[in-house]
Amino acid sequence: MSFISVENVSFHYDNNDPERLITENVIENLNMKVEKGEFLCVLGHNGSGKSTLAKMFNAMLIPTEGKVYVDGMDTSDESLCFKIRSNVGLVLQNPDNQLVASVVEEDIAFGPENLGVPPQEIRKRVDSALKAVDMYDYRKNAPYKLSGGQKQRIAIAGILAMEPRCIVLDEPTAMLDPRGRQEVMETITRLNKEHNITVVLITHYMDEAVLADRVIVMDRGKILTQGTPNEVFSQVDLLKEHSLDVPQATEICHRLKNIGVNIFELPLDEEGCVKALWEVLK
Amino acid sequence: MSAVISTQNLTMTYGTNTPFEKSAVNNLNIEINEGEFLGIIGHTGSGKSTLVQMLNGLITPTSGKVLLRGKDINENKKELRKVRFQVGMVFQYPEYQLFEETVYKDISFGPINMGITGDELNKRVMDSARFTGLKKSLLQKSPFELSGGEKRRAAIAGVIAMDPDVLILDEPTAGLDPQGRDMLLNQISLYHKERKNTVILVSHSMEDIARVADRILVMCRGNAEILDSARNVFAQGEKLEKMGLRVPQITKITQKLKEKGIDLPDGILTVDGAFDSIVSLLKKEGKLR
Repeated sequence: MSFISVENVSFHYDNNDPERLITENVIENLNMKVEKGEFLCVLGHNGSGKSTLAKMFNAMLIPTEGKVYVDGMDTSDESLCFKIRSNVGLVLQNPDNQLVASVVEEDIAFGPENLGVPPQEIRKRVDSALKAVDMYDYRKNAPYKLSGGQKQRIAIAGILAMEPRCIVLDEPTAMLDPRGRQEVMETITRLNKEHNITVVLITHYMDEAVLADRVIVMDRGKILTQGTPNEVFSQVDLLKEHSLDVPQATEICHRLKNIGVNIFELPLDEEGCVKALWEVLK
Repeated sequence: MSAVISTQNLTMTYGTNTPFEKSAVNNLNIEINEGEFLGIIGHTGSGKSTLVQMLNGLITPTSGKVLLRGKDINENKKELRKVRFQVGMVFQYPEYQLFEETVYKDISFGPINMGITGDELNKRVMDSARFTGLKKSLLQKSPFELSGGEKRRAAIAGVIAMDPDVLILDEPTAGLDPQGRDMLLNQISLYHKERKNTVILVSHSMEDIARVADRILVMCRGNAEILDSARNVFAQGEKLEKMGLRVPQITKITQKLKEKGIDLPDGILTVDGAFDSIVSLLKKEGKLR
């Protein structure tokens, strides 16, 4: 059984909410699954419905039509809401909006404390969460004095301490500098590979999507295309038509291939691109 | 070329005489040329934002000077208002600063405060809308009805409408999708080409900076580490990586090919540039007709 299952889901925001003047469906009859232990990446332009989708994974939003099941639990059943949220943690774009306490370790303890975890167990969870994101040395620091990447890793540790089986990250690196982005991406990949946590990553950065097991591209509330990063990024023209990018490494080879240069498989990263171009140019 | 803005031993220290004392900008001496497109890069906390806020007098330096066309902007505090009309600043996430009933009114707020009225005001609003790629039909709408990308452009138009000699943009593309980003960067380039004003762009995206900037200032721990042409800056990949930065992917790829002995030019910054160089190389070697 899939860990998260989205079945015939449509969603539109409430017309009464003045912040949301869009009344048409943001998600349109969507079907998809998130498998246990996988690293799934969701791509799409602004307004494609990807953040709305993310919020439906942990019952922050309930589908207008259709059902979302998390580990078999229906997200529209209010009595299961708490249980669903302790299974699926959400990390958002701006780390400053997600940190609550004035000491790092107290911030991490906030989640498990609210779940009613016994104190000794909380201590253990806080330490192991901080070690998992490589921030143990900063446990007594004040969050506001950390860098963006460090803060975002604290936000992830706060989720980890609740021991969720899945973490959903909505553009977690959008506000970070290159080093911060790399730190966060290394942490996410490690959690997925070593701690076997299911990861759903929503991003605009194609070089991050390349690290995933599977990529889903959203457009106007529907799935435009999906597959392995290789399968998705080989459709350069389709992605470009829908205001998405491909990595520069893929783009240069795609353009050369189009004018008749001998390149068989489009590379996704620097190394692959250097190899492909070397074959042509040597 | 004359300098539009220059700094003399510019220093800003936060929390002086407390245990949290931290110098954000350290004894900075730079010259920004009239009409250039300057990119500023640096890791989080490197002092980029503090620096640009000192350039239009939002932050008063602890010591040192900011000279606008040779005149110290902090000398006479009453003149600072004028300085801010000359050095326009677009903050991060500027769409949160929209507040008027219509987009038109929001864009006219700045020029009205400068005392501009009538036809001149209308012309300025229309020009800025064109520069930022806002459709005319949007001008009579409430800013809150616009999409994220449109809001961002409306907010930038409000600053451009003041016709500043120097336009500073702090992370203008953060959170936009690739199409929104490309469109905004193209509009800013167009503005720079037509108006020939100085533009300063702060960004974490090396690809963006590589595409548009003539020169790049690299900040690290409050110091100006490098100030040079985009080409020369990105040729120093290792040094940038030590400072928590990187070079655009395409630059790195072409550098690696060069190291393997492929005859490509130095400092390729864009996919277009790489494409042209590789195609002409293949043609020269007869591998491509």
